Amino acid sequence: MKLRHLKKFRIAVSVFIFMILLLFFLNIHNQWIDSVSNVLLHLQFFPSVLRFMTVFFSVATLGFLLVLLLTFLFGRVYCSSLCPLGTFQDFISALSRRFKRRKHKRFVYTPNRKLILRYSVLAAVILFWAFGSLFLLNLLDPYSNFGKISVTLVQPVFSWINNGLAYLLQQFEVYSISPMLPQSLPYDVVAVSVGIFSVIGVMSVWRGRLFCNSLCPVGSILGLVADRSMYKITFKDEACTLCRKCEYVCKAECIDSVGKQVDHGRCVSCFNCFTVCSNEGLYYENVYTKKSAVPVRREETMDSPPRRNFLLTVAGGMLSVPVLKKFAHAQPHAGEPGMVPSGTQLPVTPPGSMSYDHFTSKCIACYLCVSACPTNVIVPSFFDYGLEGFMQPKLDYHKSFCNYDCVRCTEVCPTGAIQQLDLPAKHTAQIGIAKFLYESCIVTVDGTDCGACSEHCPSKAVDMVPYNGLWLPEVNPDICIGCGACEFACPTEPYKAIFVESNVVHQEAIPIEEEDGPRDHDEDEFPF
Amino acid sequence: MDRRNFLKKGALYGAVTGLTAGTFGRVTPALAGLKPDTTKGNYDLVAVRGDDLPAMFNRAMDEMGGMSQWVKPGQTVIVKPNIGWDVVPERAANTNPQLVAEVVKHCLEAGARRVTVFDHTCDNWQRSYSNSGIEDAVREAGARIVPGNFERNYRDVSIPGALRLKEAKVHEQIIDNDVLINVPVLKHHSSTTVTIAMKNLMGIVWDRRFWHRSDLHQCIADFCLYRKPDLNIVDAMLVMTQNGPRGTSTSDLVRKNSLLVSSDIVAIDAASTMIFGAQPSDVGYLRIAEEMQIGSLDLSRRNIQRVYM
Repeated sequence: MKLRHLKKFRIAVSVFIFMILLLFFLNIHNQWIDSVSNVLLHLQFFPSVLRFMTVFFSVATLGFLLVLLLTFLFGRVYCSSLCPLGTFQDFISALSRRFKRRKHKRFVYTPNRKLILRYSVLAAVILFWAFGSLFLLNLLDPYSNFGKISVTLVQPVFSWINNGLAYLLQQFEVYSISPMLPQSLPYDVVAVSVGIFSVIGVMSVWRGRLFCNSLCPVGSILGLVADRSMYKITFKDEACTLCRKCEYVCKAECIDSVGKQVDHGRCVSCFNCFTVCSNEGLYYENVYTKKSAVPVRREETMDSPPRRNFLLTVAGGMLSVPVLKKFAHAQPHAGEPGMVPSGTQLPVTPPGSMSYDHFTSKCIACYLCVSACPTNVIVPSFFDYGLEGFMQPKLDYHKSFCNYDCVRCTEVCPTGAIQQLDLPAKHTAQIGIAKFLYESCIVTVDGTDCGACSEHCPSKAVDMVPYNGLWLPEVNPDICIGCGACEFACPTEPYKAIFVESNVVHQEAIPIEEEDGPRDHDEDEFPF
Repeated sequence: MDRRNFLKKGALYGAVTGLTAGTFGRVTPALAGLKPDTTKGNYDLVAVRGDDLPAMFNRAMDEMGGMSQWVKPGQTVIVKPNIGWDVVPERAANTNPQLVAEVVKHCLEAGARRVTVFDHTCDNWQRSYSNSGIEDAVREAGARIVPGNFERNYRDVSIPGALRLKEAKVHEQIIDNDVLINVPVLKHHSSTTVTIAMKNLMGIVWDRRFWHRSDLHQCIADFCLYRKPDLNIVDAMLVMTQNGPRGTSTSDLVRKNSLLVSSDIVAIDAASTMIFGAQPSDVGYLRIAEEMQIGSLDLSRRNIQRVYM
C-alpha cells in the first residue's frame, strides 16, 4: 500500500470505531454492536490497565499491552484510530476549519515547550492514583471523557429526539418507536461534562491535538513509547522540496518542516503528512534496521522529573475541595408518615462491584453502566464518594431500583470495577440491606394498609406480618440483596419509611429455596 | 377516617330506609328483582375448570353468548392484562399470554376495528412486556401493545362519588377506546390479601403511590366509580397463594385450573377470592365495594354457570 493511502485507511477505521462506541454508549440494542464494542473496549488503554489490576493475566486484560506494542512498532496509532475522543477532536477540528480564514495553513510547528506541563500532569495522575484516588484520571482519561460526553450530553439529546418522534407518531396511532425512560442526571455532573466538552473542544479548534499532547495521560504515556518506536515518520532529504504542506496539515503540530524533523513523542500517526506530500518526501522508516544514526531529539533534556511544587499546588488545591455531605437532616416530628430522615450513609455500589473500596479504586467513570442500565437506577454521582470516587456512578433508589433478573452493568463494565455476575450470583449479591422505620410507616402512623415495599420485593425479604388487623412490613436481612425495590416503591414523603443501607463490603445473601413447581389443588368443585 | 365512618353510617341509613320501603336489605340496584335465567348469554358469571386454557375460554365465551355482546363491529377495544413483572409465564405473576391472545382473537372476530394491549408495569416495562410472553402473543394474535410507563400518556380524570381517590391520571388508551376488557390473574397480595380484577385496574393509573398512602383499600374501591370494565376475565389456572404479588418461585403456585368470566367486577372478585381460599368479606376493598354499593359479595343470588371440562 502506498503511504498516501494510509490516511484514508486511518479515517475509515477511526470513524468506524467512533460510531460503534457512540452507538454502544447510546445504548442501541444490537447484538453485533455489543460484541464489536466489547472487543474495542478491551483496547481502551486505562480501562484495560484497571482490569489488568483486578483480573491478572486473562486474555481480556492484555489490551493495553497490545496498545503499547502497537505504539512501539508504529507510533501513536492508538490516538488517531482507537481513541474515540481523538476522533471526536478531529471532527471538531475539521468542522471548525470550515469557518477559518487561513484554510491552507491550519497548523504550524510549535517547538515542544510543553513537556513540563505534560509530564507533571501525568505524574499528578499517577500520584493521585497511588494514593487511592482516581480523581485526576477520571477527569482526564480520554475514554472516560468520551463516555461522559456521550452519556450526559449526547444521550439526553438523542433520547429527547427519540421520544419527541415517538410521541409524534403516537398521535397518528403509530407505535413503532419505543419511548426511552428519562435518565436522571445531576446538574453538577452535567456541568462538569459541559466543562470537559468545552475545554477539549476549544483546544481542538485552536490547536488540533493539543489536549492529547498536554493533558491526556494516555497521550503522555504513549508519547514516551512512540519516541522510541520502531517505525518513524522521517523526511527524505532528497525528495523534500520544503513546501511545508506537511507542517500545515499536522494536527499535532510536531513537524518541523524547515529543520526536517518530526517530534515523534507528539505525533499521533494520523498520516495526513503522507497524503499531502506530492513528492513522497516523507516515509515510514524502521529506525532499528537503519545504518545511520537517528537524529537526536533536541529536547531530550527537558524530560526532567516532575516539578514537585507544581504537583503540590495541584494536589493541595484538589484536596481542599470540600467533600459534600449528603444529608441535611431535618428535625423529625411525629404524626405523619415519612417524617423520619432516612437514606443510606454511603452510596450503594452496583452488584458485582464487591466493595466500596474495590469500586472506587477501579471505576473510571465512563458511565457505560449508567447508559446500559435498563431501569436507570445507576446514576452519576458528584462527590458522594468523596475525592477518591469523584463522579463515579451509584445506585439511586429514589429514581429507580435494580432489576432482580438483570446483570447488564456487570457485562459492560470495561475496567473490572463491576465484575461479571451470572444470575444466580446476582440473586445473592447483597449490595445493601433494607432498613424499616416503624415510626415513619403509613401502616403504623395512618392505620391503613399499604405494603408497597413488600409488593415490589423480588425475594420477599420484605414480608408483611399481621398488625392490628392490618399488615406491617418486616425485613429479613439474611435474604435481602439491597435491590431498592422497596425504597423506590415506598410512597411516604419527604423521607422513605424503608431504605437500603449500603454494604461497604458486599455480602452473600441466603438464596431463595429451590423451586418445587406448582402444587395440585385439592377441591373438586367450585367453592361458590 | 371520618369520611369513611360517615359513609358507613350513610350506607346503613340507606339500607334501613330501603328495608322500611319494603325492598331487600342488600341493595344492589342492578340486581333488584332479577330472577335466575338459565338461557345462554344471561349468566352473571361463568366459571370453567379444565386443563386447556384457550379451550376453557372458548367455552366460557360460548356460555356467555359470545364476545359480540360486548364488542360491536367497528369498535376499538383496550385489553388490560396484568403484565406487572419481569418474570416468565411459568411463574404466573402475569396473566397467561395464551389467554390474552385468545381474548384478542375473540375481539377481532367480533369485528373490533383495533385491539390495544398495555399495562403500567411495576418492573421495567420492556423487560416485562417481553419476558411475560404477552408482547409476542398479542402481536401474533393481531393486537398492538403500547407503552404504559410514560406520564405523557396519562390524562386527568375526576371520580365523582369517590371518598379518597377523587381524581387520578388515567392512561389515554382507557379514555379513547370503546370497550375495556380486564384480564387479571388471580394472585396472593401481601397487603390486600388478593389481587384480581379490581386491583388490576391500578395498572391504568399513573400515580399508584397516592393509593398506597391514602388508604389503599378505599382507593381500589373508589376507582371502580370511574369506570367498570365491560368484561372481566380472571386467569386462575396457576394461582399464586403466597409471596404475592410478584412471587419468588414456582413453589408459590397451586394448580386451581380455573377461569372466570363476568361483567360484574365485584362478583368476579368475590368468586375468585373463594377459589383463592379466602372469604370475600375478609378482603378490605371488597367490603368497601359492598358498602359503597359498587357491587354485591353475595354470590348465592347470582346466576352462575359452572362448567367442568
